This record gives sequence, structure tokens and C-alpha cells, in this order.
Amino acid sequence: MKRRSIGALALAAALLVTAVAASTGTSSPDRAAATKITVWLQNDAESGWKEVVTSTNAAFQARHRDVDVDVQYQSWGDHLTKFDAALAGGTAPDVIELGNTETTRYMAGRLLQDLTTQKGSFPNSKTWLKALTESCTYNGRLYCVPYYAGARAVIYRKDQYRAAGIKGTPKTLAQFEAAGRKLMKKYGKQRNYSALYFPGRYIWAGMSFVYDYGGSIAVKKNGRWQGNLNSPQSIQGLTKLKQIVRALSRANKTGDEANPQQSLVFSKGRVGSFIGNGWEWPYALDKKVGNPSLANKMGAYPMPSHTPGKFMPAFLGGSDLAVPVTSRNKSLAYDWIRTFTSTQSMRGLATIGKQIPNTTSLANVNAKNPQLAPFANASKYSFFVPTAPNWVKVENARVLQNLLQSIITGRSSVKAAADRASGQITRILNAPTT
Amino acid sequence: MSQGPGGEAGFPALTGAAAAEPVTRRRRGSLGTRVFRALSPYLLLAPAALVIGAVLAYPVYFLIRLSLQRFGLAELVTKKGTWIGIDNFTRLFHDEQFWAVVLRTFVFTAVTVGLTMIFGTLIALLLARLGTFMRVLLSAGLILVWATPVVVAVNIFRWMVDFEFGVLNWTLTRLHLGDFLNKDWFADPTTGFAVITAVVVWGSIPFVAITIFAGLSQVPAELVEAAEIDGARRWQIFRDLTFPLLLPIFVILTSLSIIWDFQVFNQVWLMRDGEPEEDYWLMSVYSFVEAFRLGEYGFGAAIAVVMVSFMLLATFVYLRQMIRIGEAR
Repeated sequence: MKRRSIGALALAAALLVTAVAASTGTSSPDRAAATKITVWLQNDAESGWKEVVTSTNAAFQARHRDVDVDVQYQSWGDHLTKFDAALAGGTAPDVIELGNTETTRYMAGRLLQDLTTQKGSFPNSKTWLKALTESCTYNGRLYCVPYYAGARAVIYRKDQYRAAGIKGTPKTLAQFEAAGRKLMKKYGKQRNYSALYFPGRYIWAGMSFVYDYGGSIAVKKNGRWQGNLNSPQSIQGLTKLKQIVRALSRANKTGDEANPQQSLVFSKGRVGSFIGNGWEWPYALDKKVGNPSLANKMGAYPMPSHTPGKFMPAFLGGSDLAVPVTSRNKSLAYDWIRTFTSTQSMRGLATIGKQIPNTTSLANVNAKNPQLAPFANASKYSFFVPTAPNWVKVENARVLQNLLQSIITGRSSVKAAADRASGQITRILNAPTT
Repeated sequence: MSQGPGGEAGFPALTGAAAAEPVTRRRRGSLGTRVFRALSPYLLLAPAALVIGAVLAYPVYFLIRLSLQRFGLAELVTKKGTWIGIDNFTRLFHDEQFWAVVLRTFVFTAVTVGLTMIFGTLIALLLARLGTFMRVLLSAGLILVWATPVVVAVNIFRWMVDFEFGVLNWTLTRLHLGDFLNKDWFADPTTGFAVITAVVVWGSIPFVAITIFAGLSQVPAELVEAAEIDGARRWQIFRDLTFPLLLPIFVILTSLSIIWDFQVFNQVWLMRDGEPEEDYWLMSVYSFVEAFRLGEYGFGAAIAVVMVSFMLLATFVYLRQMIRIGEAR
């Protein structure tokens, strides 16, 4: 019987994997009694600043000769599912990167090591970015170390803008839209061309429209969270988003910005602009997967607001590094984090990774670089998600993604989709924390 | 006890007719021999019972226990849930979304099982009429489909219906059936489910087709001939002769298909890139999202328990049919 034999096969395979895992776990041929620390970083590090990780490990191992560092790259889509399972199974990593929107639940659940007393032992802890430090603080205690921040800006093709007759970079949302229409007129005959590549589930860029029109995801009233995506301002923002995306984008309306990587789509030539992080610029030029010949044709500018003279509020994204309470090598884990967040590593993160480093003392590295300044500028106006312990469940349930998708595909009206999402958010944020 | 081959979902009704009940003579032995005789069936059953207990009974027990607890992330780490009785079920039954998901799962199961049985039967009838060469060719095709892992199949289908590069949109446009360029099949759950249904049905047809074909080859040729002489048409032969003869097989295949299609998860999950929209939630997906995405392990377990109960009904029909066949001998 087919399914039965598949079941048996799966079982056999599972046993085999366990057996192999067990045997590799016990016998590493080179270093007999080596200690190993496991580090989970997101795959942005792998594609954006792998050199920094390599040099960190080298510096770390120069001090701890008998310690192996096993860096495992994770994807945003499922790393928390894996982390939760690993916590239960006692196989959680010694160091984990958490997005700054993901930390609250784990801090509230006391699953991360309290670092308050040794804050001073981490490099630059006095000049850490305020927003990131806040994402690591719960009830006045520190549970993680800021890693990097990022704000998105528009990355564009200078040559295409010029050819379409667009002078300078758009300063208002209306100019942005007009520029997009010019691009579509010039290049739109190629059937996969997008003046603005914007996948239907790209929430971090999409929510900027909501905040630009004065809306928000949720507000706290009398100690209770209230979903706010159906407020008149939020709906105005979402409506504008729908109009712009439907006019300027031919990206997958039911996909997101990571599958396929939007900067790689951009590198293939049929995209005039996209909203991306600093690291996505060099990634588009990658020798293996990107297109190095675009080097002189790329530029960036902060996404303009509908209010003249302002930028659209950018999501202040970022990551933190934490040590799960289950780690058996905590002091080694702390030391690895110290190495990874040293001034030298952070400078590498800024120059190679094009990210905003965790310390204000390095702010001038970004400001002086024309490739980085637009992103630093974009972070002047920023928004952040509701800081509720249950927030990460809103992300995990993909409430915002589903909202944008149903609006952009036109499956439901903006109002109906927003009402629904808002109700879900209210329910999730006010549920007992588990 | 059936002595014939194919004690499982084979065709015992047709193959086992010749099996004779072995004649055992009562003989008096020593006490030891008698005790051994009495115990030996249980000894022989013990390993199987042990395995079933380990891989089935314990997980089900654990699942039921979990469904009666509040079990979130904190409990996951401390490994101790809080006993809350039937709260999870109360919440579940008052959850509008749950009923929508249940309805969707039933409709999905009915459609996939129906299509699987219809196409499976048609292909089986085709197999029976084909010449040797074409029959071998078609059987080989069926076996290949059968051997294709779900992950591979889903990826192939995803590429075929890709909104930008998919061959389906290209073909439909070329056939002048409309402008399908950049049509996104998953934007609307109806067309999205059509694609998912296609993968599931495609993957389940071989088992059904080959089984029915095997059954068909057991239908006595004289009966068909006699019916033909009496002037029966093809459809009448199938309706009044073949189908009733093969009814036990149809019942078993249908109940097995229901069991399989009711718990479809992979096809939906992979097709929607690990984050299916709510319109695509079947019971299995709903349970997984609640448990592993939202960290509500107790609530997720409650959904799974309800799902298992539904499945027991289908299993009951299957088992009853199996037992009937056993008794018919």
C-alpha cells in the first residue's frame, strides 16, 4: 500500500537521520573533546556580510582554541517554529538572532538569559541604538544585545529613470507615482516589467503607507490593544497603496519580497525600482547570482511622503542577539556575541553589509557613504510595530500579509479586509500570553 | 482467519474462494503443551501489539491529554501543561473560523475523492481494453506518478501554474481562450483549490486505477459474454454486472481515499510556500498553524482530536467492509 509504505519509509528515514545525527554528534574525528557552540543567524548575514561572520569566528577561535562554532543560517519564514521546537527538545542554539519585533514574547516568557548585570561587558553598550536597546528591554531588564538596524529606501535604475525623462529623484508621493507612470509608458511593453516591483505580501513596505497617512497597526487604549488598520487614516493609506501597486507593479500578488529575492529580480533588468534594505543593493550586484554590470546604474532615495518635504515613515527593522536560557555554554555564547558586535565587526557590517550598525559611534560611517546615506536618511521618519508580548503571533499568523494580499489582488474591498485584520489583531494582542 | 493472499486491501472476495479451512484435530497433550498452545497466539501477536502501542496508542493518548491542557511556549519549555478540562473544545466549537474550515475540508474531501474514483475507474476500464503494448506503457506511467514524491509533484505543478513563467497560462493564451498572461491562480481560492485538487487527484489515481483494474481482470469473462449476448450495452454491463461484483473494492477504495484526502496537508502547505492564506486552511493546516505558528499546542491538539474523530467514522466503514469480507469466506 502506497501510503503505508511511505509511512514506513519516512519512519526508517527518520531513524536513519537520528542515527546519523547521533553518530556525528559523538564522534568528530579532528577534535576529540571539542566544545561546540551553535549560532543561529538569519540568512541576510549569509548573503550580505558573510565575511564579518567568518572573521568573527576566526577571532573567537583564536581565544578559544578548543571550541567549535557552528553557524546555522535560518530563514525568517520558519525560524521561530524551529526555535520553539528546539527549546522544547533542549536543542536550542547558544546564540540566536531575533528580529526586533520578535523579542517581546520570548522576554516575557523568560526564555532568554537576563543580561542586565553584564551589560557593560558588551562593546559600545553605552552608545547602542536606542530603538534596538528598547526592543531588548522588558520590565527594565536587558535580555539581548542589539545587532543591527535597517530602514528601507527606494533602490532604482538611474539609467531607466533618465531614459524615461525623469529629472532628479521624486520628492513627493505624487511625483513618485508620476515617475512610475513614465517608466511604465517607456518600458511597460515588456510584459514582466515593473516600474515599482512590489509583491502582494510585502508588509514592511506596505505598512509605511498606513503610517504615512496617520494610520497605525494598533493603539493601546486603557490598557487594551485595539486594532487600528480600519481607521479612516489607515484605510486611506491602504487605498493609496493598492492604487500605486496595481498601476506600477507586475510582481507576484500572492508572493512576498523574499521568494524570489526582490533584489535578484531587480538585477535581471525588468524592474525600475523596488523598496529594499541597504544590503539588497550589493546583493543585486553579486557575481554569482546578481548582475555586476549594474554597478554604475543603481541609486537609492528615501521613499517620499504624500506630505511634501517629508519621507514616508520607514519600518525601523533590526535584529538582536540573545542567549536562550537553555544554553549550556553561556559564557562562551556571551563572548561570541562580544566578538560579533565589536567595533571592528560593526564597521564591517556597515561597509560590507550596508546596514546601520548597533552603535551611534559609527553613525558617520553611513552618513559619508553615498550608498548608505539614503537608508540612514530614511530612518529619520520611522514606525515600529505594537510592543505587545503577543505581537509576534500577529506576524506568525501572517495577518498583515493576508490583509495586503486580499487588498492588492482585489479579492476583498479595502474596508472589509481592514476590518477583518483589525479584529484579528485586537483578538490576538489581548489574548492571554502563552 | 483468512488464508488467502492479500489479507489487506486486496481482493479477498475473489481470490480466497478456494482456500479451505484447515482441519485441526483435537489431541490431548501435556499441560505444558496446552499452556503453550493457549499462549502462543498472544506471544505471536505481542510484537505487533507493542509496535502499534508505541507508534499509535501512545501518541493518541498524548494528543488527547494535550488537548485538555493549556500548553503554550512557557509550558513547552517547562514541559508541564495546565489542566483546563474541555476549555479548548468549548473555544473551538464557538470559533466561527473552525466551522468554516470543517466545511471546507468536507467539500475538499468530497471533490477529491469523487474525482479520484471517477478518473481511477475510467483509467482502469481503459487499461482493460488496451492492447499489451499500450497497457504496459500506461501502467508504467501510472507507476511513475505513484513513485513521484509529493514535494516534487507540488513543485512541478507550481511551476506549471506560475503566474509569470507557467506553461498553463502560456498554453491557454495560445489557445485563444482569453488573456491568461500573468494570471495568478492562487489569488482566488477557488482556482487555487482547483490546482491543489489537481495535484492530490493526480497523485491518488494510480492506486485506485491499478486496484480496480486488478479487480476487473477477475470478473468472469463468461458473465460479460452472456450479458453481451443478451444485448446489454457497455454502460449496462458496467452498471449491472461489473460494478456490483466489484462493490467491495469500491467501498474499500472510497473509504481509504476519504481517509487520505481528509488529512491532506503537504500539498496545501508546499503550494502556498509554508504560509497558506486562511482561505486555504484545511483542518490539518488549521491545527498546525494554531499549534506550531501561534504556540497554542493544547488548542492545536484539540483540533487534531476532532479531526481524528471524524476520521474514525471513515475507518469504521472500511473496517466493517473488511470484516464482512472475512465473514463471507
